[in-house]
Amino acid sequence: MRKETIIGKVKLVRVDDIDTDQIFHQSLLTIHNPEEIKPHIFGNLEGFQDFGKEDNSNKILVVGKNFGKGSTRQQAVTGFLAHKIKAIIGESFGPIYYSNAVNAGLLLVEVPEIASFDTDKDDEIEIDINQSVILNKTKYTQITCRKIPQPVLDIMNAGGLLELGEKF
Amino acid sequence: MKGLTLIEKIIRKHTEASDEDIYPGNIVWVNVDLVTARDYAGPQVIDLFQKHYPGSKTFDSDKIIFTPDCYPYGNDPKHAKDQEKIRVFAKEHQIKVTDLGSGIGSHLLFRRGFSKPGNMVIGADSHYNILGALGILGQGAGDVMLSFAFKTGKSWIKIPETVKIKLEGRYTWPTTSKDLALYVLKELHEHGITGKAVEFSGDIISELSIEDRVTLCSLITEASGMIGFVPADEVTAEYYKQFNINIELLAGDDNANYDSELTINIDNLGLYIACPPHPHNVKPIEDVLGTPINSIIIGSCTNGSADDIHEVAKVLKGSQINPNVRFGIVPATREDFVEINADGDMTVILEAGGNFFGAGCSTCAKGQYGLTGGKTAVTLTTGNRNTQGKIGPADVYLASPAIAAATAIEGKIAIPKVGENK
Repeated sequence: MRKETIIGKVKLVRVDDIDTDQIFHQSLLTIHNPEEIKPHIFGNLEGFQDFGKEDNSNKILVVGKNFGKGSTRQQAVTGFLAHKIKAIIGESFGPIYYSNAVNAGLLLVEVPEIASFDTDKDDEIEIDINQSVILNKTKYTQITCRKIPQPVLDIMNAGGLLELGEKF
Repeated sequence: MKGLTLIEKIIRKHTEASDEDIYPGNIVWVNVDLVTARDYAGPQVIDLFQKHYPGSKTFDSDKIIFTPDCYPYGNDPKHAKDQEKIRVFAKEHQIKVTDLGSGIGSHLLFRRGFSKPGNMVIGADSHYNILGALGILGQGAGDVMLSFAFKTGKSWIKIPETVKIKLEGRYTWPTTSKDLALYVLKELHEHGITGKAVEFSGDIISELSIEDRVTLCSLITEASGMIGFVPADEVTAEYYKQFNINIELLAGDDNANYDSELTINIDNLGLYIACPPHPHNVKPIEDVLGTPINSIIIGSCTNGSADDIHEVAKVLKGSQINPNVRFGIVPATREDFVEINADGDMTVILEAGGNFFGAGCSTCAKGQYGLTGGKTAVTLTTGNRNTQGKIGPADVYLASPAIAAATAIEGKIAIPKVGENK
């Protein structure tokens, strides 16, 4: 993929502490097919239960802090890839969620000041990976993001961790 | 020379990266000592392994264990087939399986001496970091990481900042290590430990049993911390003697760089309960005394040990569980089951109206003990998560085994008293 910038329209899910059970409920854990996971995403998150049925392709999710805390379930990442979400931008992410996302090729971007970033739904934003900057191209504003670590980019560029593992 | 925290030292021993690479925020590749997977994730790990590495052997079959612990004996065809897939793959690759009824993988790793202080282990369980209670760097991992580790023996880790926590003071019964864990969770959530490690110190640590330490470390995940760590000490060394394992007592360097230091005063600590809708919504019991409860579950990697079940028996002795309350116990491991049976506490609980389920996980992964029902099934559990809607649409509270037992007698949240033979 090796993309230096990522552009997409914003989908706001500004809720802090979203648990993996709110992203993909534990009663569904035997489901592994991405297309079957897709309709259940946020099925247990109040106000966002319809997310799974909406067309969210090519969107960039803007979330709050501590996103994806909770379990190790990979489906909570797979579902967003099935939705063709381009990236998730948040103040912080649960550590296991972060590694699950990177390993599967879903870009997570940490923005410590995300709460003060003036963004509405459907604004067009651009993530500049090299400059560690996010531009809101609709509102002409920008904010700094944490530098994405090189090993993370290496895994993403290989297409995921398992693809990298084929070289071992 | 640069000082390293204890966790940085353990990572250093497992990586080919240089000293300069060991600093918080950096990501390094590590060689793990043990990789495990359970009945959730395990089948998917196998599928990914076979798809990406067809015909390959694992990196080392002696360093992999399957620990099916989520689901009871085949009450659901999908789960039964998933578990069978694990057995077939394990046999083909000569991998150990701790099969149904053995107990929670994370607990078996120390109860059976499969891992020891200073080790790095990963498994399909977000509470693998409870192993920090024994000085083991345990981490939860998803399907992709585990499948990669099956093939390579490697994983990657973002080196965490470490917060040093000093616990100052002492508490007495009915306050227990669960109240301590909940209170610490509340404090740490306010302090903010997302992605950070926590190293515990304080005079009380040497008085805490291994089980107490596991409880203390079990709620770090709920503050999105990476791990809670109790440096291995004499208590840990004594524990490992049963396996004839001598352990190395590692400590952080005096000049190590800690993110922050926090002293938490636990002198005369009261009783605490996590209220809906988050584990970190911790309140003194006084705020919720008398709240009607009709479903109680004792279990989970947080509080499912024999020690925890002894606490239940201590309170229930001579009393009957309220007829409005469904009361289930899921012992953490077979070893815990054997212990409570041998000392008669199992009989005390059965006579009081309690029920036992097979050893393993409880409600957290909807396993041995499933969902609780509809909006009227208000639950109190000794588990580690009460996220809204997780085990049912009604409210869920988290508390100690002693509080759970007192609440079972009253049918409402109550303060524990020692029971008596009548």
